[in-house]
Amino acid sequence: MFQNFRLSMAWLHTWFGLFLGFVLMVVFFFGALSVFDREIDRWAIPATRFEPQPMPSFDKLLRPVFDDMQPLDDARAAMRGQVDGPLPERFETVTRLGAYTTHRDPVLGLFVGYEVPNAKEKDTAIFALRTVDPRDGTALPDDRLKIGSGFFYPLHYSLTFEWKNLGYWIVGFAALMMLVALVTGVIMHRKIFRELFTFRPKKSTQRSMLDMHNLTGVVALPFHFFFAFTGLVIFAGIYFPVTHTQLEALHDKHERVEALETGLPHERAGVAAPLASVDAMVAEAQRRWAAKGMAGDVGFLGVQFPGDANGYVSIYRAGTDRIALTGEGIHFKASTGALLREDPPPTVVARINEFLTGLHLQHFRHWLLRWLYVLGGLSGCACIATGFLFFVEKRKRQHAKQGSAGARVVDALAVTTVTGMVVAALGMLVANRLLPDAMPAGWPWRGDMEKYCFWAVWALAAAHAVWRTAPVAEGRLAPAWREQCLAIAVLGVLAPVLNWVTTGDHLLRTVAEGYWPVAGADLFMLAGAAIALLAARRLQRRAVAPVPVKAAAMEANHA
Amino acid sequence: MRDALMLLAALAACTAGMGWFALSLEAHWTQVRGKALPSPALVAGLRWLGGAAMAMALGLCLLVDSASIAVLVWLMALAAAALAIAFTLTWRARMLGVLVFWAERQVPDGSGA
Amino acid sequence: MAALTSSRFHIASRTAAAMLGGYAFTWGVIAFATAALFAAGMEFHDAEHLSYILGFLVFLVAFLMAFAASSLVKAWLVLAGGGTALTLGATLLQTQLV
Repeated sequence: MFQNFRLSMAWLHTWFGLFLGFVLMVVFFFGALSVFDREIDRWAIPATRFEPQPMPSFDKLLRPVFDDMQPLDDARAAMRGQVDGPLPERFETVTRLGAYTTHRDPVLGLFVGYEVPNAKEKDTAIFALRTVDPRDGTALPDDRLKIGSGFFYPLHYSLTFEWKNLGYWIVGFAALMMLVALVTGVIMHRKIFRELFTFRPKKSTQRSMLDMHNLTGVVALPFHFFFAFTGLVIFAGIYFPVTHTQLEALHDKHERVEALETGLPHERAGVAAPLASVDAMVAEAQRRWAAKGMAGDVGFLGVQFPGDANGYVSIYRAGTDRIALTGEGIHFKASTGALLREDPPPTVVARINEFLTGLHLQHFRHWLLRWLYVLGGLSGCACIATGFLFFVEKRKRQHAKQGSAGARVVDALAVTTVTGMVVAALGMLVANRLLPDAMPAGWPWRGDMEKYCFWAVWALAAAHAVWRTAPVAEGRLAPAWREQCLAIAVLGVLAPVLNWVTTGDHLLRTVAEGYWPVAGADLFMLAGAAIALLAARRLQRRAVAPVPVKAAAMEANHA
Repeated sequence: MRDALMLLAALAACTAGMGWFALSLEAHWTQVRGKALPSPALVAGLRWLGGAAMAMALGLCLLVDSASIAVLVWLMALAAAALAIAFTLTWRARMLGVLVFWAERQVPDGSGA
Repeated sequence: MAALTSSRFHIASRTAAAMLGGYAFTWGVIAFATAALFAAGMEFHDAEHLSYILGFLVFLVAFLMAFAASSLVKAWLVLAGGGTALTLGATLLQTQLV
């Protein structure tokens, strides 16, 4: 197909980079925001703006909440298609329940998985979810959307497109193409070391865009590679469900053997049994961790088959001081509190896998590393965006002469996925402050309204992008870029102002009190607004006095 | 507080290291120090300095956190440092002169100081 | 982009070879490696995870090679053929182990 290897790699980089770049913009941007997803939750749900708490008493505080939890209407609606017959009013038989804390979350996430009678497939469970205040057990209203961990984060790994897991597949393919783009980019880049620190904004747009594309791609290359790679490893079970299909027999045999070896029952006994004091088990677990020199907080607490003789309680240590996620699991017999098993130290392969997944999922406590991750993510966004800009800049004059609209289409898509996406995110946060506390009857939940606002604002930005990129078809700069930068500048100031007006938590107060989740979010938005304003002014100057083009020279320099 | 200072020192070491690496490249040396090209000995010396600074940064990171976290902090700090040096070279190149303060700055007519 | 002298059909076929052939080949590698490592004594989930880690690196290389290969037919044969062979091998191994 090509004259040589380098040309084939350059072709791959250009075309697959372009098409999947639109998806990767979303993945990188919302991935960067997700580093501080729980802090964004605090901003979006003012009732949760208090300090993170340790796991509270199971016996006194959590148990009554668990007993009260039932699946909500949306879970029931999703389950209707998977049963033969009606769903019961109240679900009674619990398969598994649990709670998890993080060092960044003041509120506690609880889940209860109930057995579903008359289910078509065995082992089907329906889940009840609730978020509570760990200081007193009061529940957060169900209609609140955790904009960070409940929307931006899923948008990052699945585009919130859940039908047949298609969103996961699109993101997965985009991640693989990111790896392809990184490798082909290195192969194409002839002077990778010599030009490592090169950025020449005063030269032609093509040159400065390419310089920035190379700079942001190369300096954070290990970051970009590892995040795309570990993202794939995390969801490998979705992309290659080998052990649940072709090798299911091997998997099931191993499960039975493992259940015997670990002493953790695989099935319920069918015999009722009480639940002993879980607080005593937690205390024992913490004593054992301390005895090993690894004193720590509880990260995850789960009970399998509560109320059954085969029930067991699993307690995991929060992994805040290292990359691996929760670990050091200790398991107790639920009915008596006797120790069943202390998880042995992980094998080498398990440690490698935990390192890879933990590096991506970031349960560690390290504020500098988190901000460096945001820098990495935004560098990735800059790399992809400058890729688009270079693509359009290189072709728009040629396309104008040929009467082709190709460059304009790409520019419109680029505006939509770069500035349009930021406008949508800010628009959602503004809507979060403007919507009434409880939606009137007949309207969708407040959380759903916020999602609709996000998509609506993005659609509007897309329409604006299509309309205002007409000059690209004549080889000129599109005004859409400057206009959307101005929109970002306005919204980036409006959101913190609305936060102040609606909650009283203005920057002087949050900074003075050291309440960084909200202060940080406000400051980040204001900084973004400032950058957008500078960009808009630059673009205005460019529109009036375009930078000279040395097209022939560019062609010679770049494959 | 001690940890914060050590991490700050690590960031500074990474930045200095990247700066020395950049200065070992012809194009950037001339940006910072004028027309004359650095001698091969100087180029090698700058790269050694750069490497040493980055190694010291890794050591500092390891003093603060467990190995798994320290390595990541170090790699990300290197990326941030490289970006900082690149932007400094673009807009305030002469500032990097402080890293090679011992080398004479060549005046444009080619004569040494 | 210079030097592209191929028809739309050829481009589509290359892309299919890279995506579908690559997927088939990777499936084969993951299945065979999981079964083989487990047969060799590695813990089951360790075998699975290590195979996944190797698998994605294999997919990356397979994708690049599908486009770099001078012969499209060879690319299809290696990827689809190799994938099928490895998958069959995995099932054979499974029958020995269960």
